[in-house]
Amino acid sequence: MTPEDGSARNGPDGQPPEGQASTAWQDEGSVVERGKSVPTDGNGVDHEASEQAGRAAAAGPRQTRYGRPVDSLGDGPGGGWRQPAGGSGTQAVDIQQPRAEDIDPKAARSAERQVALLFLTSAAAAVAFAVVFFVYPWEFRLDNSPNSYYTPILGILLGVALCAIGAGAVLWAKKLMPDEEAVQEREPFHSEPEIRAATAADLTRGLDEAGLPRRKLILGTLGLSGAALALPAVVPLASLGPSPKRELYTTPFTAGSRLVRLDATPVRLGDLKVGGIETVFPEGHTHAADAATVLIRLRPDEVRPAAGRENWTVDGHVAYSKICTHAGCPVGLYEQQTHNLLCPCHQSLFDVLQSCKPTFGPAARPLPQLAIALDPDGYFIAQGDYSEPVGPSFWERG
Amino acid sequence: MNPAAERSLRTRRFRLSGSAGLLLALTVIGGVYAVLAPSSRAAEGAQSTAIAEGRALYLVGCSSCHGLNAQGGNEAPSLIGVGGAAVQFQVGTGRMPLAASGPQAERKDVEYTQEQIDQMAAYIGSLAPGPEIPEGDLTDGDLQAGAELFSTNCASCHNFAGAGGALSYGKYAPSLAPATPEQIYAAMQTGPESMPVFSDSQLTPAEKRSIVRYVDYINQSKDYGGHGLGRYGPVPEGLVVWLLGIGGLLGVTLWIGARA
Repeated sequence: MTPEDGSARNGPDGQPPEGQASTAWQDEGSVVERGKSVPTDGNGVDHEASEQAGRAAAAGPRQTRYGRPVDSLGDGPGGGWRQPAGGSGTQAVDIQQPRAEDIDPKAARSAERQVALLFLTSAAAAVAFAVVFFVYPWEFRLDNSPNSYYTPILGILLGVALCAIGAGAVLWAKKLMPDEEAVQEREPFHSEPEIRAATAADLTRGLDEAGLPRRKLILGTLGLSGAALALPAVVPLASLGPSPKRELYTTPFTAGSRLVRLDATPVRLGDLKVGGIETVFPEGHTHAADAATVLIRLRPDEVRPAAGRENWTVDGHVAYSKICTHAGCPVGLYEQQTHNLLCPCHQSLFDVLQSCKPTFGPAARPLPQLAIALDPDGYFIAQGDYSEPVGPSFWERG
Repeated sequence: MNPAAERSLRTRRFRLSGSAGLLLALTVIGGVYAVLAPSSRAAEGAQSTAIAEGRALYLVGCSSCHGLNAQGGNEAPSLIGVGGAAVQFQVGTGRMPLAASGPQAERKDVEYTQEQIDQMAAYIGSLAPGPEIPEGDLTDGDLQAGAELFSTNCASCHNFAGAGGALSYGKYAPSLAPATPEQIYAAMQTGPESMPVFSDSQLTPAEKRSIVRYVDYINQSKDYGGHGLGRYGPVPEGLVVWLLGIGGLLGVTLWIGARA
């Protein structure tokens, strides 16, 4: 981007000649002034403009690099686009329009007042925040009192305090700060050949001085220490926890475990009505995540046990695992009339009358069934653990 | 007099005296009964009036589907044993009389006055024993316990804030916002449509009152964060954040970076 008239050519080290600025802006004043007297060579072409115009022309005739037709000059917020270099010797003119604030001192004063007002608003909001914090009624109440607006008011005031500073700063920059386009020369990317040679010489000399190829003992022990570093990186994997062993295959249910609710009260025959559902756990394990079970009461004539499971139910009561066999969400949505258990996460639908076979959704296996019975006192007990692992599939499950 | 005429005269006399005698006997018995029958029947009278009125309303509005004796049929289930609570819920929320068949009866405008609903509830309750809404303040419960019970038993279908949720095949758990304490209590007791039945031995009346108090509380509570966005949780909140929040930030960024 050096003009051929040599007015601002940079020296061999990339710096501008002494006494010359490195940018046309510094050299020739603001764009507005340059617009009045464009430096051209004999062809009447402004080279800075032509560089950009060359790119613009490549995009298409009479179009800027952004594709907007150049006919729409002067639009856009406070500026137009540079005209591409015309072929018929037209003089390229920098047609960026000046801002109102640059030309009209009244507009500048009004912009200044606007920015000052925003900063004042911010200060006022910050002070109001402090006042509201101490003065406004803040105690939590259940009724319809203004107390419930305490936090929102504080939030709004803080938001205004911060945003007003930001808005003021942005408007100050847009309206009042110098608005010029400056072109800065780019340094060439490559270093000079002398520098490259000197750097290479430095590197080889450093390597020689270190003497590594000669000192085999050092090299060998360095290699050993690097290899041994693999040990502290790999060995801590052994602390990834005890092996789960059979954890995934078993739940805390055993033969004779009473079914209890979350509050540890046992469930009796007769607590549930037909169409009722209760979440139960084995006694003493109400926090066991894999033992969550749903106890459902069907009409006795509705129960259709699978083969081999005829004595797994008690008077229409059936118990199934609450953990979805798809991804483990609690299947608690029981549709009483259609006897479906719906999982809320991915909408797997299990038909309770078909031993919780999945009839819709991504679950592939039925919910495991818990065989239940009654103890002599009339409380529900489990006949044993689940017949298969509960929950989603895992690799060893097969 | 000839024997034929005598016979006819005798029978005519008997016929006349038969009907007159009957009338006389009825009058005597009726008068004695009215005088001697016990008079303390005002309450029973009112109840039987309510049941009778309820039956009349039932026959007009409900019997075409539920049967003349509430025995049910192909179109509608039997109402024998559902209790007055079921009537209070179904008719009180406008779900009955059913507007159209579909996956679920929807809440709509209530067709009867509360007095008429009470009468129909009395009639249905008289058919067989069934759940009834208890007297007294139904919101007299423990708010904390109600919150825990709600999250265990109700929130999986009705959403953590009672905003409702979807079930399968077009059914849904409705929003609890328009429900009155009586309707909430009756719904727990009777398990309408897809809702499970929560008997009094599963959720005691005190626990039911706690749940009612909690639902009442969340229905009246404000959304402290501003707009509740339907109280559905992360999905609408995420929508607002992505569209309005990040979109707005993009707009501000463009505004800052635009040419002066």
